[in-house]
Amino acid sequence: MRHVRVHGDRRVHPDVSIVIPVVERHGDLKQLHSELAAELSRLEKSAEFIFVVDDRLRGAVPVLRELPERDGQEIVIVLMGGPFGESAALTVGLERARGERIVTLASYFQVQPSGLGPALQALDEGADLVVGRRFPRIDSFFNRLQSRLFHRIVSRMTSTDFHDVSCGFRAMKPQVARELNLYGGMHRFIPVLALSHGFAVREIEVAQRTEDRGTRFHGTGAYLGRLLDILTVFFLTKFTRRPLRFFGLLGAGLFAMGFGVDLLVVIERVFFEVALADRALLLLGVLLMVLGVQTLSIGLIGEIIIFTHARKVRSYHIAEVIRSPGSQAALTERAGTERKIARVRNLR
Amino acid sequence: MLDLSIVIPLYNEEESVAALYEEVRAAADGLGVDWELLLVDDGSTDGTVARLREICAGDPRVEVIRFRRNYGQTAALQAGFDRARGQAVVTLDGDLQNDPRDFGLLLSTLDEGYDVVCGWRHDRKDKMVSRRLPSMAANWLIGRVTGTAIHDNGCTLKAYRSDVVKRARLYGEMHRFMAPMMSLSGSRCREVVVNHRARRFGYSKYGISRIWKVFLDLVVVKMLLGFTTRPAKWFAVMAVPFLAGTLLALATAVYIDLTVPPGGKYSLVFPSITILLAFASAHLTILGLLSELVVRVGDFKASDVVLPSLAGAVDREPSGGRSQ
Repeated sequence: MRHVRVHGDRRVHPDVSIVIPVVERHGDLKQLHSELAAELSRLEKSAEFIFVVDDRLRGAVPVLRELPERDGQEIVIVLMGGPFGESAALTVGLERARGERIVTLASYFQVQPSGLGPALQALDEGADLVVGRRFPRIDSFFNRLQSRLFHRIVSRMTSTDFHDVSCGFRAMKPQVARELNLYGGMHRFIPVLALSHGFAVREIEVAQRTEDRGTRFHGTGAYLGRLLDILTVFFLTKFTRRPLRFFGLLGAGLFAMGFGVDLLVVIERVFFEVALADRALLLLGVLLMVLGVQTLSIGLIGEIIIFTHARKVRSYHIAEVIRSPGSQAALTERAGTERKIARVRNLR
Repeated sequence: MLDLSIVIPLYNEEESVAALYEEVRAAADGLGVDWELLLVDDGSTDGTVARLREICAGDPRVEVIRFRRNYGQTAALQAGFDRARGQAVVTLDGDLQNDPRDFGLLLSTLDEGYDVVCGWRHDRKDKMVSRRLPSMAANWLIGRVTGTAIHDNGCTLKAYRSDVVKRARLYGEMHRFMAPMMSLSGSRCREVVVNHRARRFGYSKYGISRIWKVFLDLVVVKMLLGFTTRPAKWFAVMAVPFLAGTLLALATAVYIDLTVPPGGKYSLVFPSITILLAFASAHLTILGLLSELVVRVGDFKASDVVLPSLAGAVDREPSGGRSQ
């Protein structure tokens, strides 16, 4: 029963956890696995494969069960109870991963497995998260155009500079996996979120596979969803702790616009005798002012929520606490951390 | 529990940390108390961390908190406050401009029954135009808005009672007005004149350029302290002008309705405005109720914002000499 995880294990952690969310579509999983397994053997890394299968693709489970298990490589299959999407699948996979390094990959042929080595090396060199960039792109012109447009907006809104956030190939340290809180469409913004947590993020170029070149058209809903995701990330990374800065600016702008419009109408009434009752513009002005105050007050609610609930939301992230090795505080602290880790494991 | 925690935010202070540690150690040892030193590295990019490791290895009373990246002085201080184990917490700059020999004065003033003791760099050794003038303007402004007139909000050398400072929630650029902010929540503040020395190494990393953000934060904090104690009331206050507007628009609509000649053109503008404004005032009132709910289920306690007569009370030392 290879899909049943033994709890509370005392085994050595594998070098690498490979998390593969099988959501939406998948390629030949057998070939995907064997290529990766071969590459990992070549790199002399022990590994665990974690396939997280979305309910819609449960047909993939029999194939996964048949995968041959190599020496020092374990296979875990997790079947999701419903169609929860890629972010949820990734979260489940990352929670289960016990490797010293965690790699996520798309369940279809996206990049060459040869990118694995350089990514792991970049982690050893000090990066906390390494994201792949398919380069050079061999997609159709349309694919590249929509990707270019998407990334232009993302980098403008989040003041970051990533070229391929949609690439499923990422390598990270366990600390990053623990802190990422993914839901909805947030998996696309893993590098942006990690950066806002203070992690060192590096982008490396990986060779794209020919199977990945087909043109993909998405429905209007998908594009609108993407835009909304960008807006969410923009808001969350910049204004989580200061919601009033965002809503306040927006609300004040709307209010000022409405006030200006109404001022104009009133001036025309006083000096040029244009009857107010005939002006639809007056209505627009009032509407804008009301909208402005409502936006502002929503921001105020947000601020009150942060002020009264977010005692634990800290404005900083600690990389490490350094003490002299012999100090009493250092000893107790270390014991405490170990206990905490043990408790977290048992919960899984 | 220790007697004293010393918190020092550091950002690219490679040259000064060793001398800083020696000075602090000498001063703290001279006080005859149990102390710890919390050095917060705010994402330095020079050799600061390596120096800190050396210091740490030789002294178990020193703890270094290294940030993942640069988060600013407020976050660095907050991290220090969060980890402090002393009954009193003293903060100072990492650039050697503050004098650790002032610790004794700060602590003895704290013992007189104050929650916050602020250093006042009476003879400030900085450039007049670029540093001192903007700072004077900012201090005046902060004093006007909060009603807590402090000469030198920008001085990092301050002493706090631990239980008071651990309750404070800092964000943005709040380290610039710790005292006014804490006095808004009922803390007793006092100023004492401290020594100030010219910079020996490096250059200043924390300027006053973000004064407008400071000001915005200040207004928000003042408002929040009022809001969180009576949220529904304040939303209702916000709704009042809209309610007045509703009545005015309604009156106008009725007036037009009565005066329009039979068969004449009837305008919908004023009835619409009436509805819109009525809707807005209802919306605000409802939001007020929602915010009551938010505050009630939160971890916010009224004791965090005790606002009795003490609020804003600052005992100022007569300028000139320093009392010991």
